[in-house]
Amino acid sequence: MSEQEMQSIAALNYNDVNLTWLYRFFHRNHVAKFNKVFLPILKVVFIAFVFLVLYLPVILIAVQSVNNSADPASFGGLTLQWYTEIFKYRSLRSAILDTLLVAFLTLIISTVLGTLFAIGIHALEKKKRQKFIILNNIPLVNAEIVTGISLMLLFSLLLPIFPSIFGLPTMLIAHVFFTLPYVVLSVLPKLSELDANMYDAAVDLGDSPIKALSKVIVPAIWPGIIAGAMLAFTMSIDDFVISYYTTGNGFNNISIWIYSSIGKTSLKPAIYAYSTIVTLLASAFIVVAILWNNHKRKAGTKIEK
Amino acid sequence: MNKLKRFSLPYLILLLVFIAIPMITMIALSFMTTEGMHFSNAVFTFANFSRLTEISVIVGLWNSLKYATIATLACLAIGYPLAYIFSRSKNKNGFLITLLLVLPMWSNILLRTNALGYFFSANNMITGLLSQIGINWSIDIKGTGLSVVIGLIMVYLPFMILPIYTVLDKIDTSLYDASSDLGGDPIRTFKKVTIPLSLKGVTTGIILVFLPCFSGFAVPRIMGNEKIVMLGTIIEDNFIYMDYNFGSLISMLLIFAIVIALFVISKVDKEGETLL
Repeated sequence: MSEQEMQSIAALNYNDVNLTWLYRFFHRNHVAKFNKVFLPILKVVFIAFVFLVLYLPVILIAVQSVNNSADPASFGGLTLQWYTEIFKYRSLRSAILDTLLVAFLTLIISTVLGTLFAIGIHALEKKKRQKFIILNNIPLVNAEIVTGISLMLLFSLLLPIFPSIFGLPTMLIAHVFFTLPYVVLSVLPKLSELDANMYDAAVDLGDSPIKALSKVIVPAIWPGIIAGAMLAFTMSIDDFVISYYTTGNGFNNISIWIYSSIGKTSLKPAIYAYSTIVTLLASAFIVVAILWNNHKRKAGTKIEK
Repeated sequence: MNKLKRFSLPYLILLLVFIAIPMITMIALSFMTTEGMHFSNAVFTFANFSRLTEISVIVGLWNSLKYATIATLACLAIGYPLAYIFSRSKNKNGFLITLLLVLPMWSNILLRTNALGYFFSANNMITGLLSQIGINWSIDIKGTGLSVVIGLIMVYLPFMILPIYTVLDKIDTSLYDASSDLGGDPIRTFKKVTIPLSLKGVTTGIILVFLPCFSGFAVPRIMGNEKIVMLGTIIEDNFIYMDYNFGSLISMLLIFAIVIALFVISKVDKEGETLL
């Protein structure tokens, strides 16, 4: 028994009125004990719970992808059958291919345009830049359904001129439009880390403006460009609402295909297999990225030494 | 450097065209009765506005407000402590944390919601396995408001954690040391240092969670068994049944909420640092 505890018991026995000892006992010992023992346990339980909530659907999809029973309400043993059926159904196959086509085109167009736009915005005066950023944030904060309907109305106005515009062109324009702000916001912070005189110095030393951009600015903001490109690709591949309103003429992406199949037998288990493969690829990519990150960090400390 | 400014001009034009023209079209549509986008028989009218007091609209607005508020508060209650734990942990690997939070998003949002929906229904794989070993237990809340709220939390929680983590991670740790050196206990340090410095991320997180919850239609449709009316489902129905006029009017309600959100963001985060 510690001195404090004895003191507190003594205080309790001899002086019922003075409870400060009791207070100190609880305050010092138990708070310390709580901080050392229970808090870490509580933290782990809490983190585990949150990740369970986030990953439960992903796990359920993975289980469903190897479930022999096509009925999601029962487990009929293991199978890899659904993995062989991903490209069997024409509608699912074309949805997958359309999704990838739009995502890759969006990735290229949004990254190039977004980087140039960010460079332009960064060159503006502070007040103008801040106003421009508010404008840039509109599509980003805007509710997806409003963006989707807005674009649909805009494209509908063009229908008399381009009668068959709905489909790949509209979905692609829509995806570029809603991913551009993300690229701009990823590139801008990297630009503000950059020395403002670097571009002028390169031009003064005889580089053409294009060369100064591609040899000086772009390499310096490369991490921001990559981050923006990844965001654009992810947003495009996963988008539902905006695609739903801006497509037509049988051009469907995965989300639209799923939405029109949910609750029906046309929701083939092959989609669970496809989803699991995508998740596994993304996980593999993450592992590589982490290893690469650690490797780079180690290399960095070596140079510092 | 000044010459680089011209790169911003096409973007300005693009944004203005893509935001202003649809907005004007929407305002025009909400004051008219048209057949979809055919303006040939258009009539100017206020009739759409009188429909705003229809019971389904009131219920939809109330449901949207209620579920979005509950989901946002729950995300804040879960997301803030989590972001705080991550930012204060010794082995700081923000990169890994971000990737782990983003990874579930690689599964399609509708498929994830649907999977969670199965989990919440009376008959699913897990109840089936449990009944085989003699346990008759199921959650069976699919179709209720609670399942909609849980679905929203599952989908949008990362959007609360990430901006809060971004700002907490940027706080200079010497501020914590300074606070404790000056006699502040952990609770006071938290109140006087951590909370004020993280408000920017909290604001962004609240907006990034509240707006999609308030306006979404896919999660309520799937988790609510098509029974729960929200603003998003009303808009979707109106556009499906070619009532562009009333659909536009309800969309204007959403835009009103979004303008407020934009105004708040432009006040707290001028450079758009926390939106990603």
